Amino acid sequence: MPEAMVRFERVSKRFRLGESHDSLRDLLSSGVRRIAGRDPAPSRETFWALRDVDFRVDRGESVGVIGPNGAGKSTVLKLLSNVLRPDSGRISVRGRLAALIEVGAGFHGDLTGRENIFLNGAILGMSRREIRTKLDAIVAFAGLEQFIDTPVKRYSSGMYARLGFSIASHVEPDVLLVDEVLSVGDAVFRLRCMDRMRRLVRDGTTLVFVTHDLDQMQSICPWAIVLDKGRVAFAGSSREAVAAYMQAMSRSYAKRGLEIESDSSREAVTIHDLTLADSSDATIVWSRPGDALCAELRFTLHRPVPRLIVELNMRASIAENLISVNSGRDDTFFDGRPGEHRVRLVLPALHVAGGQYLWNVRMWDADTGVAMVDTPFRYPLVINDGGRATGALCLEHYWAHLGPAQTADADAAGVDINHVPKAQPSGAAS
Amino acid sequence: MDLRSYGEVGALQIALSNSVSSIARFQDLLVSLTWRDIRVRYKQSMLGIAWAVLLPLSMMLIFTFVFTRAIDARAALNVDMPYALFAYSGLVPWTFFSASLGGCVTCLVANRNLVTKVYFPREVFPVSCIAGAFVDFCVAMIVLVGLMVYFQWTGAWHFTPSPALAFVPVIILVQVTLTVGLGMMLAMGNLFYRDVRQIFGVAIQLAMFVSAVVVPVPTDGSLLARVIAVNPLVSIIGAYRECILFGRLPAAGGFFYSAAFAAATAVIGVIVFRRASHRFAECI
Repeated sequence: MPEAMVRFERVSKRFRLGESHDSLRDLLSSGVRRIAGRDPAPSRETFWALRDVDFRVDRGESVGVIGPNGAGKSTVLKLLSNVLRPDSGRISVRGRLAALIEVGAGFHGDLTGRENIFLNGAILGMSRREIRTKLDAIVAFAGLEQFIDTPVKRYSSGMYARLGFSIASHVEPDVLLVDEVLSVGDAVFRLRCMDRMRRLVRDGTTLVFVTHDLDQMQSICPWAIVLDKGRVAFAGSSREAVAAYMQAMSRSYAKRGLEIESDSSREAVTIHDLTLADSSDATIVWSRPGDALCAELRFTLHRPVPRLIVELNMRASIAENLISVNSGRDDTFFDGRPGEHRVRLVLPALHVAGGQYLWNVRMWDADTGVAMVDTPFRYPLVINDGGRATGALCLEHYWAHLGPAQTADADAAGVDINHVPKAQPSGAAS
Repeated sequence: MDLRSYGEVGALQIALSNSVSSIARFQDLLVSLTWRDIRVRYKQSMLGIAWAVLLPLSMMLIFTFVFTRAIDARAALNVDMPYALFAYSGLVPWTFFSASLGGCVTCLVANRNLVTKVYFPREVFPVSCIAGAFVDFCVAMIVLVGLMVYFQWTGAWHFTPSPALAFVPVIILVQVTLTVGLGMMLAMGNLFYRDVRQIFGVAIQLAMFVSAVVVPVPTDGSLLARVIAVNPLVSIIGAYRECILFGRLPAAGGFFYSAAFAAATAVIGVIVFRRASHRFAECI
């Protein structure tokens, strides 16, 4: 029986909506009302951030916690680190716990890097002696040897983040909580952070990793919990968890629909909607990698635009555009008479990996070069690949095992790539 | 490896039993935070720690000027020693008291980042404020010795060393105990209601004039005198003067009252603070 390092037993947490007592005056007036025997002011609405959450993490396991915004991920972490207390249920944590919740939360700008290492280390639960022995390693990992005696207020945000992560990752806790901290810093540093976390896990640290970055989560956590509206929607292998998360997300979009408010009428054009459909013309918000995508844009022009350019862009969260198609660049100009128009874009095979994407619309008057509309990225598309692909693209691919290197006649062994069935990424054709 | 459980059941018991031990466990944190406060206070400052002396000293000069030069109130004040000595010997413990509490009032709110993100016993914040002010107090005390030497030299004051000096640490302990209790209540109060800081600002001004800091308190048995006698600081600050300047032990009755008052305040402060501390992160 493995040892449970972290355990949630029917944990619920409720928050009061609105502000709590703003001032003493409110307290006094409610107190007076109570003394006078009158009903106290109606209690404010409450909101259940977590409802009956049950899970356990055993020693040496690393578990990802994923879910849409507001699902209760941060609440789980704050309950775990004992910053918040549950309204009901029980939480147990075995051993030393360190939370890497916000890089450099305890930094003081006027202190030098070295002084902040001691301060932040103590905040995270290290003794001064422990910090002294690890000081060089912390500085080296952060790559700040040259700046360690400079006040951190003169640091760049990347240096700040590097120092913060370096300290936290040297705490060597029994349980490490990590919350979205790796979104800062450059790519190389992020890789080193992931590497460091993997090493900690290998050395027996139990990891709870809260993130929006599903790739990152999958690369480090074999297990994951999906939270949705304060409940555990799924718990299991992280691949299945990602699939469950995607499905939950597409459901919520399907329910909400794509009602988008029209742009103001004084503009030359009103965008009604952008429908994303698959090749069978059924309106969808989710699609599998490689499926065809048919985007249909409906808009009304308020003045004639003889040569109209339409551009559609797609990006994943805050990243750069992943797809940008512009009719002008394709030498396609639409005859924009006043009135309602529909423009369709077909992408026969959309080979992007699973994830949540957002589209926007831009239009130009080609003759004047004036941009007419540039909507926010607000048209969602969820692609569910069952948690299989990570990275940006999911291209059609096949696997073949060409046999051990010694076998010279591997090619003759009958691997005909033209007839290999579309393989599961994890399997290998033999 | 210890197993910690926390839930709605038994939270209070855990909280109470942990209170003292967790403070000890987080000693290093206390040292670090105190040291941070001191470092930050005197960073980018030319005079640095000298300010610990300059502040009570300049207050002493102001009050000495007001009460002996601007208006000569020496007769009315009826102080049985050079006024400058009276004022400074009151201002040093007073500054310790008021600076500690001033730090405590805002310590939780100012460290919101830590309170809402990292867990450790929240007592560390008010206690580190007091510890930081204590360092200044010790430095300022040294100057009191210098001042006594000066008045001895001018002949305005005659000081004889006495074993009563050994009682000073007890007085300090009583004052710290009182400050811990009040500091925790203020820190917590200001977290829930920001009015506390404003009220504190006014109250501390008033308290200075009813604590025998720069003006003696009335002892004529009037209603005012009896109300002021409730203030435990009167006999604490008086006790410093008795021990250090006169070389005799303070009057037992008043001092015991202050000690009991301080102990009760500290017990209540610590318990209430502990009980409320799990709500700090959501209410801040």
